[in-house]
Amino acid sequence: MAFLSDSYNLFVRWMKKVVRNPILIFFSLFQPVIFLVLFTQLFSKFGALLGPGVNYTVFATAGIVLQNAFSSAFQSGTAVVDDIKSGFLTKMLATPVNRSAILFGRILSDIFRVVVQTIIILVLAYALGVFPETGVLGYLIVIFTVAAFGLSWSGISLALGLKTKSAETVFGIAGFLTFPLLFMSTALVSTSAMPNWMQTVSNYNPISFAVNAIRNAITGCPVGHLASNCTTGFDWSTILQAYGVIALIGVLTLGATLYLFRKIVS
Amino acid sequence: MTGIIDVSQLVKTYGDGTKAVKGISFSVPEGEFFGFLGPNGAGKSTTIKILTTLLRKTSGSASVAGLDVESDAAKIRKIIGVQNQDTTVDEDLTGRENMLLQGELQQMHGQALRDRVDELLKVVDLVDAADKRAGFYSGGMKKRLDLATTLVHNPKILFLDEPTTGLDPQSRASIWAYLKQLNEQGITIFITTQYLEEVDRLCRRLAIVDLGEIVAQGTPSELKQEIGADSISLGLESSTMNTGGTREKAKQVLETKFDQISDIVNSDIGLTVYAKNGSFLVPEIVRAFDEAGIKLSSITVSSPTLDDVFLKHTGKRIRVEEVTSANYRSMFSRRRR
Repeated sequence: MAFLSDSYNLFVRWMKKVVRNPILIFFSLFQPVIFLVLFTQLFSKFGALLGPGVNYTVFATAGIVLQNAFSSAFQSGTAVVDDIKSGFLTKMLATPVNRSAILFGRILSDIFRVVVQTIIILVLAYALGVFPETGVLGYLIVIFTVAAFGLSWSGISLALGLKTKSAETVFGIAGFLTFPLLFMSTALVSTSAMPNWMQTVSNYNPISFAVNAIRNAITGCPVGHLASNCTTGFDWSTILQAYGVIALIGVLTLGATLYLFRKIVS
Repeated sequence: MTGIIDVSQLVKTYGDGTKAVKGISFSVPEGEFFGFLGPNGAGKSTTIKILTTLLRKTSGSASVAGLDVESDAAKIRKIIGVQNQDTTVDEDLTGRENMLLQGELQQMHGQALRDRVDELLKVVDLVDAADKRAGFYSGGMKKRLDLATTLVHNPKILFLDEPTTGLDPQSRASIWAYLKQLNEQGITIFITTQYLEEVDRLCRRLAIVDLGEIVAQGTPSELKQEIGADSISLGLESSTMNTGGTREKAKQVLETKFDQISDIVNSDIGLTVYAKNGSFLVPEIVRAFDEAGIKLSSITVSSPTLDDVFLKHTGKRIRVEEVTSANYRSMFSRRRR
């Protein structure tokens, strides 16, 4: 009970903090818009390079949904660093607050934000003519996959934040990871357009797994098939693989986070 | 021991080998207003952190309300209020929201919590600002809010680590007034501070720690009586005081000529001498120094204060106020991190 109510109260605290910082809201809401519009416009002719008749906006939506989740996930860690530095964490620890709820409240607020951002992207994409061939269930699968992805990756930034206690370091590592991980995945380009060595990297890149599942929900096409709409529908093996990878990363990063957090709170 | 706080042979050695607390023992009875004093780095904050379950001890025992600080940590957290050295209110939340959140984390809910928060807002005089964000509060208001957040759950014991440092005299006075009220309602108060006049007025008992050990404890009047003498503060010429050997020379003169002097301690401005009937001694000291060719820049006599007690036991002055040109340099080096 304490875990649930403490998590809820701390979740509300984070949401209030976001809502009351207009600059933060501006960036977290406009970031997805900029990603979607900029990338799909910049590479609008790119579809033809991937294959005849490929609509790049449809192709890239899955990648942008994920890229957004990826960069949002890295903000969890910096928030926790702020609480350590200000002494607010110490103040909470002197109360009977459920220890795990301190982390969980933060993660919940991150997931909530990522889901809102994803919905914005999907609405905007709909205006650009992108909608899941798999219907409402497809929307739900996209959102659920992004939420799970955000949860597992926020663990990395939390663990880094707790370990280094430096927001700069978390940002630095996030920036360092973003480009290689994102560009060497199927987020913005199909493997067929990559050099051989990069195809291998992409095939093992955890981002590719999640992107493929989301793209399958949007286009209804199997992995590697670049058309915008197929009648094949859900490719359950792709989706299950994605969840397997997400779960594996989640167990590793959240495990590390819990371990580091215990060390701080004991 | 049967105090509400019992500490016995408490030791804390940090990972890097620093011995912050070296086997201290003390006991605080229920309802006490207890001052825990010492220079910076003496081990005060470490001790508070152990007592408030925020830090693990290395050895020894410590209990709060009969509960062991490690095995019963969860129970202790429900009955203590803790104010840290840094003011820790969430500046994006309003004063009221800060208090409601602390109450929720203490498992208080609904109308009972809201009533309690209203009541406390009145006590700390923040009713008008209750629904403004704490980020807009002045330093004194934030401290008052911080104090109020530690009181939401009606704690039996309040641990305060320098609750008034950095505040203007007026805000400080109002915080001490609240603390006095709380203590009169039966809350035990355990406080560290640098303001000795307030300690003298409000604390019923105190302990002085230095270098991780307790060097003195008792009631303020006991400790002052222990000095048993007036203090005569002698200001020496700062240019030759240390390097020119003036201080040593002055000490020699005092030691050989005055057998009624009970103690001589180095101070920031020169020497502090303890003797009965200090005022009668002044002309004689002036004469003796004149003969020995030692220049005096000032001489003041006072009945002993806690400051003298502190100086006697730690060799340092604690004051942060009353900056004079002679001691301002040492004052800066003593500022908190």
